[in-house]
Amino acid sequence: MTTASPRSEERSRDLAALLAQVSLGDRAAFRTLYRHTSAHLLGVVLRIQRDRAQAEDVLQEVYVNVWRAAQSFDGRLSQPLTWLTSIARNRAIDALRRHRTEPATVSSTVAGAGADDDHDMLQNFASDAPGPTDLLEQAADARALRQCLGALSGEQQQCVALAFYQGLSHAEVAAHLRQPLGSVKSWVRRGLMALKSCLDRLGVAR
Amino acid sequence: MDYGHPALADRLAAEYVLGTLRGGARRRFDTLLPAHPLLRGAVADWQVRLAPLADSVLGVEPSAQLWPRIEQRLFASERQDALPWWRRLGVWQGWATAATVAAIGLGVLLNQPQPVQPPIVIVLNANPDAAGVLPARFVASVTADGRALVLRPVDAVALDANRALELWAVPGQGAPRSLGLVRPDQATTVLRTQLLDNTAAFAVSLEPAGGSPTGAPTGPILSLGSI
Repeated sequence: MTTASPRSEERSRDLAALLAQVSLGDRAAFRTLYRHTSAHLLGVVLRIQRDRAQAEDVLQEVYVNVWRAAQSFDGRLSQPLTWLTSIARNRAIDALRRHRTEPATVSSTVAGAGADDDHDMLQNFASDAPGPTDLLEQAADARALRQCLGALSGEQQQCVALAFYQGLSHAEVAAHLRQPLGSVKSWVRRGLMALKSCLDRLGVAR
Repeated sequence: MDYGHPALADRLAAEYVLGTLRGGARRRFDTLLPAHPLLRGAVADWQVRLAPLADSVLGVEPSAQLWPRIEQRLFASERQDALPWWRRLGVWQGWATAATVAAIGLGVLLNQPQPVQPPIVIVLNANPDAAGVLPARFVASVTADGRALVLRPVDAVALDANRALELWAVPGQGAPRSLGLVRPDQATTVLRTQLLDNTAAFAVSLEPAGGSPTGAPTGPILSLGSI
């Protein structure tokens, strides 16, 4: 069971209440929800769709989705921010095949993001050193994930980081790491399975 | 591909949430998701496992024009998709029935010898958007004077112990009014004074045990029938 911090639990309840109001057609609540979540969701989208203009197009789709699907949000089944973030990631990934005619190159030509940045972010996440996530009050789930990520092999960690943080496909990860496609698929699959067993042992999800 | 196989479902769900499931496979998965509870459960679990990875994302303020674009898209004219669910009754054409008349002995219930007018029967069909959550259909019989309603599930609803079904009277404008919790397996009788006043439809939502804590539906709308 998640032992979320009081502040994040309160935030979660506020968002859930807003979503319930949105499901009833409350435009003011929708506006408030947008104000509270749009910066985070744009950040999520930008990791996958680096072009700012296209990312904002995606964000528009995201909130149209949220307005239409708010009635199907079940606060007992998921956390509001997880639900919103998943919609954002899914729309961003869907938009990739529409707008990207060639695989994104993960290199220092992308403004502000060197090839090692995401490895570092994952290292910070996986290590005990204070990182961005430590600045927020941590849920037990985040600590568990950090611990379980730390137990993966270096290649598995890299592949999971590149896939999640940069929205890279298997082929793109393989190109970036200059490794065979089969090896990358195997690292991703085994990394995910190892995460699952480790998190199951720690009582995260079911 | 056998999407009913748990290990395969789990692997696909993991790659879907991580983002490595792409192209045709991802589109197929997306299409199947609403109809496959096993897949949806696996996806939900992986979202919980990987969710903390997204926490550390730095927020980026969208440009000021984005919100007006969203408003324009959804609310400029009274588009169908801008209407809240209880106004999108046109979408339910073919699902909602017209008011029909049936002889039901509610007169006995109200201790009246004979109803002056026959009761109104409304079929609450399953919400197609929520059919994957929990299939539920009901028939409601309301006395013509709006003082009593009997709600009967068409098939018993497989309700979890920590959930409840709540019945709502939905007006043409304004928020739904709770008519209380209803049984998933037998008829429930609701007695009021004006069930039909300012009521365009009846709906059943899935709530936590004890019903909605907020006075408005907080869970998915399982079933809706317009008068």
